[in-house]
Amino acid sequence: MNGIAGRMPKFLRRADPAVVTAFACILLLLFLGSLYSRSFLSPEYLLQQLKVASFLGVIATGMMLVILLGQIDLSVPWSVATGAMMASAAAAYGPVGVALAIPFGILCGVAIGIVNGIGVAYLRIPSMIITLATNAVAQGLMVVYTGGFSPQDSATPAMRYLATGFAIPAVPNAVIIWALIGAAMVFALTRTGFGRAVYGIGNRERAAYLSGIDTRRVVMVAFAVSGGLSAFGGVLLAGYASKAAQSMGDAYLLPSIAAVVLGGTSILGGRGSYLGTVAGVILITLLQSILSVMQMPEAGRQIIYGTVIVAMLLLYGRAPASRG
Amino acid sequence: MDGAVPLFRMEGISKRYGGVRALEKAELSVTAGSIHAILGENGAGKSTLIKVMAGVVAPDEGRMTLDGSEVSFASPAAANQAGIVCIFQELSLIPELSVADNIVISDPPKRFGLIDRKAQRRIAEEALARAGAADIHPLALVKDLPLSRRQMVEIAKALARKPRILILDEATSALTATDVAKIFGVLRRLREEGLALLYISHRMNEIAELADQCTVFRNGRNVASYAAGSKSDSEVVELMIGREYSHIFPPKPPRHAAAVPVLEARKLSWTDRLDNVSLTVGAGEVVGLGGLDGQGQRELLLAFFGVLRGLTGEILVDGKAVAIASPSAARDDRIGMALIPEDRKTEGLMLPMTVRENLSFAALDRVSKAGVIDRAVEQRLIDDMVELLAIKTAGLDIPVGALSGGNQQKVVIAKWLMRQPRIVLLNDPTRGIDVGTKQELYQLMRKLADAGAAILFYSTDYDELIGCCDRVLVLYDGAVKRELVGAEITEHALIASALNIHGEAAGPMHGEGA
Repeated sequence: MNGIAGRMPKFLRRADPAVVTAFACILLLLFLGSLYSRSFLSPEYLLQQLKVASFLGVIATGMMLVILLGQIDLSVPWSVATGAMMASAAAAYGPVGVALAIPFGILCGVAIGIVNGIGVAYLRIPSMIITLATNAVAQGLMVVYTGGFSPQDSATPAMRYLATGFAIPAVPNAVIIWALIGAAMVFALTRTGFGRAVYGIGNRERAAYLSGIDTRRVVMVAFAVSGGLSAFGGVLLAGYASKAAQSMGDAYLLPSIAAVVLGGTSILGGRGSYLGTVAGVILITLLQSILSVMQMPEAGRQIIYGTVIVAMLLLYGRAPASRG
Repeated sequence: MDGAVPLFRMEGISKRYGGVRALEKAELSVTAGSIHAILGENGAGKSTLIKVMAGVVAPDEGRMTLDGSEVSFASPAAANQAGIVCIFQELSLIPELSVADNIVISDPPKRFGLIDRKAQRRIAEEALARAGAADIHPLALVKDLPLSRRQMVEIAKALARKPRILILDEATSALTATDVAKIFGVLRRLREEGLALLYISHRMNEIAELADQCTVFRNGRNVASYAAGSKSDSEVVELMIGREYSHIFPPKPPRHAAAVPVLEARKLSWTDRLDNVSLTVGAGEVVGLGGLDGQGQRELLLAFFGVLRGLTGEILVDGKAVAIASPSAARDDRIGMALIPEDRKTEGLMLPMTVRENLSFAALDRVSKAGVIDRAVEQRLIDDMVELLAIKTAGLDIPVGALSGGNQQKVVIAKWLMRQPRIVLLNDPTRGIDVGTKQELYQLMRKLADAGAAILFYSTDYDELIGCCDRVLVLYDGAVKRELVGAEITEHALIASALNIHGEAAGPMHGEGA
């Protein structure tokens, strides 16, 4: 082990093994895909995948923050849908509505997150329960709003531009947005007091509290950010598909958790890097894409998808054995 | 050794963790029917040695023989099977289960594949009686027992496994003098029964009282073995720390007429744990909290630090009443309070995080501008602290959990000193740390006081209270029963007032817990 590590470049030696494994799995997937079809290695395909990955990336960013605290956010599906529907709905209210559509959609997600945060931080409800509950409530509210049919409003031009446009030639805007949000998260996690507090709480909430950290506020902010980013993901998805849909968020709950955990973030909190989440998001997106390109029937896709996640978690997701 | 055949021998045992040598060709032999004390600073390799013995870690090299034949243990269960049972420093009981459940947890008696509760209770009762703790009800939940009682359960649990070699690692560090005396009686009886006992403790007087044979460890090696009583305390300490050992406690400055009170409590009460506690701590004063374990000392410190809900009474800082609603309010500049918590592993540190992150954790607001950490400022403050406290670490970016106990405790203290607190609350800060580090902490405490800090210091070790404090308040059942000042602070007075009996009537108590 030491021999190999000694010959690796410095940045690799310092890297978390889980992150390295995730990137290695990405390369392996691409290699296997290229055996099936050369087009898997074409720049167009890769860029397209990166664009699809951006939506999951934005959502997983918020999920990572919550998981680092040792909590979980199960309200992702309807936070995504609420963001998308509310942004589209705002667009129906004249020019002002169109202008405020995106912030309004995000704000609705933040509101869901704040309810989650109050529940977890102040009322001490386990996050698994409260976020499931808010998810159900959000779902109910949206069903009431749409009357149970798919919503009639459509996305604003700004939403479409963010999701599908090109501000820089050849680089989809969605990818740029993910990069900006990712950079902001890396900065927040590594360079700010908030980030340190998040890791501290995830490792040992009691010690963080006794160190004078306002742990409840940190937890609350983290859930609000997660809700906001989920909704923003929904706004982008609505822009991508030109309109919101009832169950558009359902496909993002497991992938967002899996992406974070596959990227080496401990599900118990306190440990993990954003680079790992990036790797996890790309890995999952590629896996989904390759399975669908291979025209695997849906049932088979689900089975392989789940099996691969379990296999990879077994590979490195467990804490190293304590016996030396 | 009187030519006795050793029951258990370890030869040339080495163990490395990464680049750190925890054990280097260590030797040890244990004889049946004797009590063998192991001494050494934290990080000297004692804990690793017994982990090897108990099958918790596998040695890199070396051999172990039991009854003359070579053995190796793949797991703690295998070591238990061979008759080696260890009581670790950290309690291993499950709080939500009953005492009896805990005692038989690894091998419960079964009938038709289900746990036989009657047999379980009988085994537990026997084991508790053998441990001298027959007063503990086997069906009580462990979480309802105070720390010292839990320790007795821990010993009973070990005895229920019918050991031939019993290892006690700091097993008495949480116990009060009366409990320690009781345990010593039990240990002596076990020796008569032919058990080999390995006893690890930082309390020199305990070892002097109990052990037959002593082995001193330093830097992963056994540096000396001698019959108990053949060396003086200071010789032993010199062996342990490898250098001259001079006055362990710094001299106390002459007491000023009346120090300006910085921290004051008026009639603090909280549930049934605190009962109208009033006290003052002046600038430059070290005030001790004494008494038996669990008489409200910890709650009192937490009350000052804003942790307890539903507290009644008044807290005054600089003579002005203040409302301290949380630790973040307590550490605020206007109050400037710091609490060194009881358990550094769960309350003081985030063990997997780096030394750097832990050191600046309580002072993040000091090292950041608009929420963004200024790395240069952080580095400077950390460097200052590492130098001031002489923290020994292989680097700032290794997990703090990799440091020795004493150095971990220094990190806990350093992270608070970074805020330059005016009021320092210490909750048994020297528990389970080595003599050398203890001495440094005593000096540091005095230095802080000399610089004008008000220090409130709870310790379970009477010697510390005597050596460090200007005044000692003795708590009993949540209330201050007695205040001892200056020369009044003697072991005799401390014990007498801890038991809430009058000093004059306490004649027969002499020597107890000494």
